Amino acid sequence: MSGEEEENAAELKIGEEFLKAKCLMNCEVALILEHKYEQLQQMSDDPMNQVSQVFEKSLQYVKRFSRYKNPDAVRQVREILSRYQLAEFELCVLGNLCPETVEEAIAMVPSIKTKGRAHDDDAIERMLNDLSLIKKFE
Amino acid sequence: MFLKVQMPWNVIIPADSLDAKGLMLKKAIVIRLMDEFACKKATKDLGYFMAVTTLESIGEGRVRQNTGDVLFPVVFSGITFKMYRGEILQGVVHKILKHGVFLRCGPVQNIYLSHIKMPDYHYVPGENGIFMNDKHSKIDKDVIVRFIVIGTKWMEAEREFQALVSLEGDYLGPVS
Repeated sequence: MSGEEEENAAELKIGEEFLKAKCLMNCEVALILEHKYEQLQQMSDDPMNQVSQVFEKSLQYVKRFSRYKNPDAVRQVREILSRYQLAEFELCVLGNLCPETVEEAIAMVPSIKTKGRAHDDDAIERMLNDLSLIKKFE
Repeated sequence: MFLKVQMPWNVIIPADSLDAKGLMLKKAIVIRLMDEFACKKATKDLGYFMAVTTLESIGEGRVRQNTGDVLFPVVFSGITFKMYRGEILQGVVHKILKHGVFLRCGPVQNIYLSHIKMPDYHYVPGENGIFMNDKHSKIDKDVIVRFIVIGTKWMEAEREFQALVSLEGDYLGPVS
């Protein structure tokens, strides 16, 4: 990336290093942080005292903003979204915000409609249906 | 966005924590790493440091002259949080002022939504002032708001990010 000026997640311009880095959905982070917290609980009586403020705030946040709670559902969400040739970043935005309509999905992740990509409205519709099914059966 | 990143780090183990048994050494390195990771809080490039997940490798230790401490180059995986311009996120309102509202999102505490960036909302004064639009959609304390990030700023002294956000766009605003 040449300069910070150009960063724009809506066009998927977030810097080489981050495009390749693995992004995580809120529900995945919730599973990891809760597991970490349980480990700490076993080691000390007052685990909240052991963790940083960043950890504490983030745990609260991801617990509140996870659309999927069940670990199996979380795994399925990533698996299903992975079938649609999305960038890591796009996959996680969709998994976090769970748009209900095609129009909403495009508003949340405008880059899926940019030129040269194979996402027509039908494909997006199918993807959203798949996602809502997981939620229903969770 | 939460990121899973791999990063190198130098862990210094004081001479008196060194133990003949290898297992204890690994434990000392992990504890030291976790402490330092938590203290660092955030960096401009990687964002906020959440948790160490796995220790990938431990390099050859080098004894430092004078002190006798040993420095180990290690590589580990961890989780960080970084906001990008153009990213759409959800946050929670924690303060309402006449000119806009402050939100929290993940570890970020200072996210400002100016009244200029939510033109259809107006301030309704009162004991606890709120913002409201013509369709009676309210932005009150503890309400979840979906917004787009228009700028971030790294504050070196506080080791924190500040962000400016907007509601100008489709499907943005309070979430019920």
